[in-house]
Parts: sequence; C-alpha cells; structure tokens
Amino acid sequence: MSRPPTTRRVRTLAIIAVVLVALALPLTLRAFWLQSGLFAMAAVISAIGLTLLVGRSGQLSLGHAFFVAIGAYGYCYLAGDPSSPLASGLGLPPVLALLGAVLAAGLAGALFSPISGRLRGIYLGLASLGLVFLGQHILFNAVPLTGGYNGRNAEPFSLFGFSFSDGTPEGLTVLGVQFGGLERLWYLGLLLVGVSWWCARNLVRSRPGRALATIRDSEVAAGVMGVNVPRYKAAAFIVSSMYAALGGVLMALVFGRIVPESFGLTMSVDFLVMIVIGGIGSVGGAVVGAALVTLLPLVLNRYSDLLPLLAQPGSSGISAADLSRIIYGLAIVLILLFAHDGLAGLGRRLGSSFRRNADGPGSPDRPMSDSPTTKELAR
Amino acid sequence: MSNLFGLVLNGLSLGAIYALIALGFVMIFKATHVLNFAHGSVLLLGAYVVGVTNDALGFWPALLLGIVVAALAAVVIDVVIMRRVRAADLGTLAILTLGVDVLMVTELTRRLGTATLTTGAPWGTSTVDVLGSSIPLSRVIAALVTAVVVGVLWALFQFTNWGIAMRAAAADGGTAELMGIRLNRVAASAWGVAGALAAVAGIFLTSFPSPGISPTVGLVALAAIPAWVLGGFDSFPGAVVGGLIIGVVTTLSAGYQGDLTFLGRDLAQVTPYAVMLLVLLIRPSGLFGTKEVARV
Amino acid sequence: MKRPLVTSVCLMVALAATSCGKAEEQSGGSAGGAAEAVPGVTEDTITLGSLMDLTAVFASNSRSILQGTNLYWDAVNADGGVCDRQVELDVQDHGYDAQTAVSLYQTMSGNVLAIAPVLGSSVITALRPSFQEDNMLVGMAAWTSDVLPDPQFQITGTTYDIETINAIDWLTREHGLTSGDSIGVVYFEGDFGGSSLRGAEYAAEELGLTVVPHQIKPSDTDLSAQVNAMANDGVKAIIVAAASPQTASIASVAASIGLDVPIVGNGPAFTPDLLDTPAGAALEQNFYTATSMAPPSLEEEGVQEFLTAYQAEYPDEEPIQNGAMYGYASSQIIHEVLTRACEEDALTREGLQEALRSITDYESGGTVAGVLDYSDPSVPPTREIYISRADPAAAGGLTAVGDSFVSELAEGYEFTG
Repeated sequence: MSRPPTTRRVRTLAIIAVVLVALALPLTLRAFWLQSGLFAMAAVISAIGLTLLVGRSGQLSLGHAFFVAIGAYGYCYLAGDPSSPLASGLGLPPVLALLGAVLAAGLAGALFSPISGRLRGIYLGLASLGLVFLGQHILFNAVPLTGGYNGRNAEPFSLFGFSFSDGTPEGLTVLGVQFGGLERLWYLGLLLVGVSWWCARNLVRSRPGRALATIRDSEVAAGVMGVNVPRYKAAAFIVSSMYAALGGVLMALVFGRIVPESFGLTMSVDFLVMIVIGGIGSVGGAVVGAALVTLLPLVLNRYSDLLPLLAQPGSSGISAADLSRIIYGLAIVLILLFAHDGLAGLGRRLGSSFRRNADGPGSPDRPMSDSPTTKELAR
Repeated sequence: MSNLFGLVLNGLSLGAIYALIALGFVMIFKATHVLNFAHGSVLLLGAYVVGVTNDALGFWPALLLGIVVAALAAVVIDVVIMRRVRAADLGTLAILTLGVDVLMVTELTRRLGTATLTTGAPWGTSTVDVLGSSIPLSRVIAALVTAVVVGVLWALFQFTNWGIAMRAAAADGGTAELMGIRLNRVAASAWGVAGALAAVAGIFLTSFPSPGISPTVGLVALAAIPAWVLGGFDSFPGAVVGGLIIGVVTTLSAGYQGDLTFLGRDLAQVTPYAVMLLVLLIRPSGLFGTKEVARV
Repeated sequence: MKRPLVTSVCLMVALAATSCGKAEEQSGGSAGGAAEAVPGVTEDTITLGSLMDLTAVFASNSRSILQGTNLYWDAVNADGGVCDRQVELDVQDHGYDAQTAVSLYQTMSGNVLAIAPVLGSSVITALRPSFQEDNMLVGMAAWTSDVLPDPQFQITGTTYDIETINAIDWLTREHGLTSGDSIGVVYFEGDFGGSSLRGAEYAAEELGLTVVPHQIKPSDTDLSAQVNAMANDGVKAIIVAAASPQTASIASVAASIGLDVPIVGNGPAFTPDLLDTPAGAALEQNFYTATSMAPPSLEEEGVQEFLTAYQAEYPDEEPIQNGAMYGYASSQIIHEVLTRACEEDALTREGLQEALRSITDYESGGTVAGVLDYSDPSVPPTREIYISRADPAAAGGLTAVGDSFVSELAEGYEFTG
C-alpha cells in the first residue's frame, strides 16, 4: 500500500487545510449551521462505529440506536444532579461520565454477543431490531433513571472548570465573536470526531482489522487460519457499540435534553442509510454519509420554502415539507442506483480516472485501504 | 376464562393478517434476498386505491383494482430499481427499498390529507359469536382468506412450473439460471405476489375494528417483521405460524396489561420483539428456517 | 496537484471575510435591546413562527390547525393587520422529530416575535429550555398541565386534566355514574394521556369510582383487546385520551360486543370524518367530546363567523374542533396579545408576555369556553368546557350539549405541575 511521495504530501496538506477550515468555522457560521454541524458530528462518530461493524466484520446491525441511547442516557445519568427531583443522577464529573457511558455501551454490546455471535447477515440485523424496541420500552418506563416520556436534561460538559456551555468563563470572546455553548462544543465535537476517525483507521489497518476482514469474507477460512472467530466478532460488536455511545453523548450535549422518542427504529435505519450511501466499510464514506443524511433534511426543511410554486402548509398541494422528504427519498434511490457501493466507491472511481488522466496509470490510490467487498454479507 | 379465550381468538385472527404480510416478506426474501422496507407503503397504496375508488366502482371491483395496483407497484419497484442492483449487499438493497418507501409514503400521506378514507367493505362492523366470544366478521374472513391463500400458494409451489422455477431460484440462483430459468421473471413475479398479498392484508387492517385508511397503516407492516423472523426467513409455514404467535402474544399482552404493570406500560409494543429475541437465542434460524450451512 | 490546498485557503479567506456577517446577526439576535432590533418585527410586518408536524403522524391535525390560523390572520391582514403591520406565519415542519425541531427553532428564533402554534409534546419538552432562554411566548397546540408554572406558554382553554374531571362529573349527573362504578381510561403515553389520567384518578378518588387504565401508542389502531378487557371489568363509561383512530376503534368494538356505555374524549380524540366510517353509527350513539374548544356548529357569534369563513374557503372539508377551530381561537388570543403589546408600545418578547398576563377577562365570542384570565401562569386561563355530542348533521360533526360549565370538582383541583 505504499504511495508515491507526491500523492502523500498532497493528501497531508489537504487534511491540514480541512482541519484549519474546520477550526475557523465557529468564527463565521450562524447558530443554525453550528448546531446542524454538531448533530452531523455526533452522527459521524456513531456511523463510523456502524461501518466498522457492518463493513469490516460483516455483522449487519439495525440496533445501533439502542447503543446510541445508552451513551446519551448513560452520560446524563452519570453526570446528572443527584438531588434532581425528576430524574436521579450520580453527579460524576462530566469527563468520567462520558467515559462511563461509553464503557456501559461496550458492556451492553458484550451482553448481546451470545446472540450477535450466533447470527449472521439479515438474521442478526432483524434480531438487533428487537433491541431497539426493548430499549425504547425501558427508556419510557424506567422513569427514575430516564425521566420517562419527557426525557431528562444533559449536564453541560466541562473540563478543568472550563464549561462547554454558555457558563464559565462567561462572555468568552475570540476575535470579536462571542463564544457561547455551540462554539465551544464545536471544538469538543471536532476533537471527538478526530479521535474516532484516527482510531478507526488504525483499527482497520491493524492485525485485528485484517482478522475481521477475513471473518467477513469467510468465517471458515478465518477459523482455519487461526482467528478466534466468536471472540473477534464479539469484540467488533463491543467496539461499534462504544462508538455509538460516544456519538450519543455528543448528541445529548448538543440537544441539552434527550427524549426516548428520538432513539427508535428511524434512528437505527438512518444510521444504515448513512453508511450505505457513504459506502459500506469505508470510514471516510461514513463521515460523508452521516453529514449528508443529517444535514440534508435540516437544510431542505429550512430553505425549501425559498423555492417558488410550493403550496402553503394546510392546503393540499406539495408543501416545502413534502418536497424535502421527496428529495431525501430520491437522493437515497439515485445515489444507490448509480453507485451501489456508495459515495466512497464513486469517489474512488472518479479519483482513479482523474489520476489516470493526470499522472498516467500506475497509482491506484485507494483512500480507504482494503477493498470492501461485502456482497456475500447477505448470503 | 372466557376473557382468555376471547383474547386468543382475537389474537389468532389478527395473526392471520400478520401472516399475509409476513408471507410477502418471505416471498421477496426467497426470490431476491431483499429486506423490503417498502412493503408497508405498498400495503398502504393498495388500501388507498380501494379507498378512493370504492364509491365509484363498488367494493369488489375496487378491491380487485387495489390488488392489481399494489402488485404492479411491487413489480415496478423490482424491475425498475432492484433489478439494476441485484448483486449489491443486503444493507444496500434494504436502504434502496427504504428510499422508495419514503417517496411513496410522502405522496400517499399528502393525498390522504385530513380525511380518513374507508374501504367500504361489505362486512362493516358486524361480529360473529364463536363459543361466547365475539370476533369481528372482517377478522374471521381474514383468517379464512389466509387459509385459502396459504393453500393456493402451496399448490402453486408444488404443481406449477412457476412454483418449481421459484423454488429452484431460491435454492440456487446460479444453477437455476443455467437450467434456463429466467431469474428476473421469477423475481418480478415474487414481488408481484407479495404486493398483492400486502394489498389484501391492507384491506383487513383498515377494516373494523380499525377506523380506516390512515398514513400510519403502513407502519403496521413492520409489526409483521417479528412474525417473519420468528418463523424463519425463508419458510412459508414459518410465516404463518409466526404471524399467529405474534398475533396472540400481542393481544394477550394488551388484554392483560393491567395485571402486568410491573413490566411497564404499553407492553404489547415490545412483547413481539421479546419473543422474537428469545426464539432466536434458542434457534438462530427461527422456528422453520433453513439452517445456514457454512460452505468452504 | 496543489489544487485542494489552494481551494481550501481561498475558502478560509472567504469565510474570514464574511465573519462580520455573524457579528451583525448576533447583535440583532439578542432580544429585548433597542426597540428597532426586535426579532420578527419590521416596519410593516410581524412574523410568528410555527413548528408543526406536516409529514408524520400528526400531519392531518397540523394541516387543519393551519387552516384555522390562516383563515384568521388572512382576515386580520385584509383588515389592515395589527399595529399597522401585516402578520406573517413562518411555518416549519419538524416531522414529529425533536432533533429537527431543535435545529429549526435555532434559525427561526432570531426571526420571529413569538412561536404560535407549536405542536407535539416531545418537541415542546425538548425546546422548553430554549423557550425560556429566549423569553419566547409560545402558543401551544396542546393542553397539558405539565407546562403550567412556566409563564412562557399560552394555553387556549383549559387543560386535559380539567377536561376529564368535568367530563366525569358530567357523567355522574347525566349518565347515572355512581360511587363503586368503574370507568375505563384509554390514554396515550406522554403528557397528553398522563394529564388526562391524572384528572381521571383525582375525580375517581373524590367520587368513589375505580379507574381502569389502558396505555396505548398513537400507532395502535385496533383496540379490541383493550375494549374486551374493559367490558370484562364492567366499566360504566370510557374516557379516551387519544387520537381519532383510537376513538373510532373503541366505539365500534364496544358497539359490536354490546358494551353500551358513554364514551367521552378529550379534544384531540375526535375528527368529523370518523362519522363517515363504519364506526359512525356507534359514535353517534355514545360519543361526546369534553374540551374548551367550541363545537364548530355552536350558535355563538364568534363561532358562526369562523364557520362561515371556513366553509367559504374550504367548501369540501369539515372543520375539526381541535384543529381548525383551535387554530382560529388561539390566533384570536395571540391577536389580543399583540394588540395590547402594541398599545403599550412594547412589541417585544417581554412586552408580549406582559400583555398576555394582563388579560383577565377576555371573551372569545364563544370559540373558547368561559372568560379567559391569563394573569396567573400556574393555572389554565379557564376551567370551563363544552360537552359536545357526535352529530353527523352538524357542521364539524358535533353539537353542544347544554352550555359550557365548570364543575365544583374541577374548581377544587390543584395543579401539581
């Protein structure tokens, strides 16, 4: 996988540039974009976890929302105010609460491994669907822990007395721009996304990553080669659950308040949409897919009323809201019809044809390492 | 005791409808290995067509039209979209059908507007007395129709060329193709039959004791997923048995909710999934599903 | 090959150049400062935000509500508007998703004077901290008592718990419900059902009745199991704190198994199209609504005005008591609030809240029961309700049964928040 030095240098520079732009964005973005961006970051982290699970170890999961919920609620419970009359908490420092929530999701993933280890493909996908319904039932009914139907507030994140909210230090201003909760959370989000991305890419290229890829392609072959199949599969499930939970924590922080209704089947399916559109197994694809799926409806909802010829809400014509759903559905269908290996595959093909024109043949750069062939996943 | 008996009867008749939906899932999965998220919107489409045409055409012609439209819609989804991506993996196929579902549900919701359409079915709100428990007539008919459908499907599979082609395609697509079976045609017909079954289920789901055709009816199709999984993904008898079990479990947990409050409120929403997980824990391929064989 | 880098740098410069745009928005967004910078108010317009569910489970309710609000504001605008300004509604669809709602609110909040109406209890719950932070007046398309001590919220009429208490009291007077009887309560999970159930439990305790509760979800439309169970428990009446599909199912199943008892629904439990379904006959026989919204056929000046306007604009549709009627009535109150704030020359967020709390004796012309008194935020503006009977011949499918009233039981009810 060695690359020509020029390509590598360009990539490094491009990554540095993207990071710089991301760091500068809170200086200029409006609150809506900051918040939407943060929702996208939360989705990105959880989606990376799912793409590792589905694309790398071949375990299809429709239960991702369950683990996201464990992260979100775990954080709120661990960091929550113990004296709150509505929903109890342990009052831990937010950093510990974050770690605790992620570990709790890992534990839940481990507990599910007797089922996840035995099932494959669609069997596992639909079994994990059961988790979402069970989880939501618990969220609705374990009122002292979860606040029930009305949900509970998320304690703002803070580190060494620096609060990632509108709190201390109050009136923080950078380059003339007031840095409130959203601006501060933006950097926390970037940090978490960065760490998640880096871990995922290292994992994929490491020995366990290759072992998982072998399991995905053939469990028997992997077993013959000395890979402990059940153990690796369980490990993949645990890691993916922890990613889900980390995204859940960030989501809770951005929301400020979480309600059980968010963590339903729709959320699970949305995560699958993200990684499929992005290209199953590709970390970069998951990032793009998550951003697209999160931002598209928000932006369309917000700005589609600028389009002419739309009916007023309340009448029976096509309203802006309908149009945004239709564009969302069409986007899914068209992307997958014309690139059924997702945007990552499309990008790879465009990239290689571009390079072929520019450099001539001989540098088939594959940004996402091993080729993700998951066609046999279903069978 | 009469309460228990009544609930079980109600559950079985509800289960018959789930069975019709689950049969569609099995059909599509056997022929094309697709988890079809658009099944619910096909069901809604069938019911919608009956709802808007029954005033002008009368119920039976409208019903026929609804079934045909739903079947055609399913075939179109397969031919226009799914056929192009046959080789894609399970997740991609499922998400494609989800995209189709979003499109269909949005349009149907908009058309349904604020009104509740009714199917105008001749059985209305009549009920039948079975050993002291009253069961809606529509449900009794649903159970009979399911029995007939299962019988006809079984006969088709056993005795017709189509059935043989279907079984061959499901068992081993590659070999079947070499034997001259046109896989695309088999797939399209499977989708069509599934669509027709969904439309029939849709009529019963929107009849008494349900109020009529509302956009949420499509969601009920999802309630048949545990039935499908429970029975085993590729088994027709499994779909029927799974449907009946889930129907009974649902009505029992709704009826005895008052005695089971320690398990939380609104139990009927989760018990089907809990039962599904339990069965999968013991039998990973469901009650009647084919065991996966690892081939090297 | 250095194109990505060049592009990124250019982008960065461009972003830095536009950063002054953000500073402007922030100074404009900080509400309550100078009079000329009030969000949602310009020389000739007042913009109200509205967060509705136009594509998911409550789409048809939302559409009906917007019919009512549009009717009202169109008439007001044609008449010269409020405070010499035209009133505009910025309607956004949250699809019953709290995350979407939070995002949409984020952009909307800087451009609107108030939020009215907003639908969806989980949405309202998720947005509550933001409403408080922004000092936003919120017209709620819901009647839950959970929000009560919060001065932000404007409730049109009384809350679900009071509706249910009055309904049960009425049942004891008119349908012979007595001590020792049991009543079934079929309720949605969440604020709506919870509120109503609280009221039922209070009334039952005071009157010596037993409550048989059944919790359901909006997606449950076949309630035969629940109705059979209630029949076994021998209930003498059924309270429905759910939506219209559930009402239809309950009424028709009850009729089919010979459970001939009165069924009383909270406001959201009825839509007139139910009368054309197979459940119609059963509803006509036994169904009533208990809510502060007037039945659209009521012979009162304000209601008739609404009905005439509605029938002219939407000749093919029926007005929904809890939809279009509510949209119209709630806009009346927001109109009053805006007028009062304008008179005080305080068309600001704070001014609006003060104007709302200054209303002590508003009469709606019958669209809302009773005289509305918003001075105390810890109680609803009225405790009066109308009881209406399902009637296919009447506009909106409902006829009032007697006048609006409040029971002694409801007068004595205390809100726990």
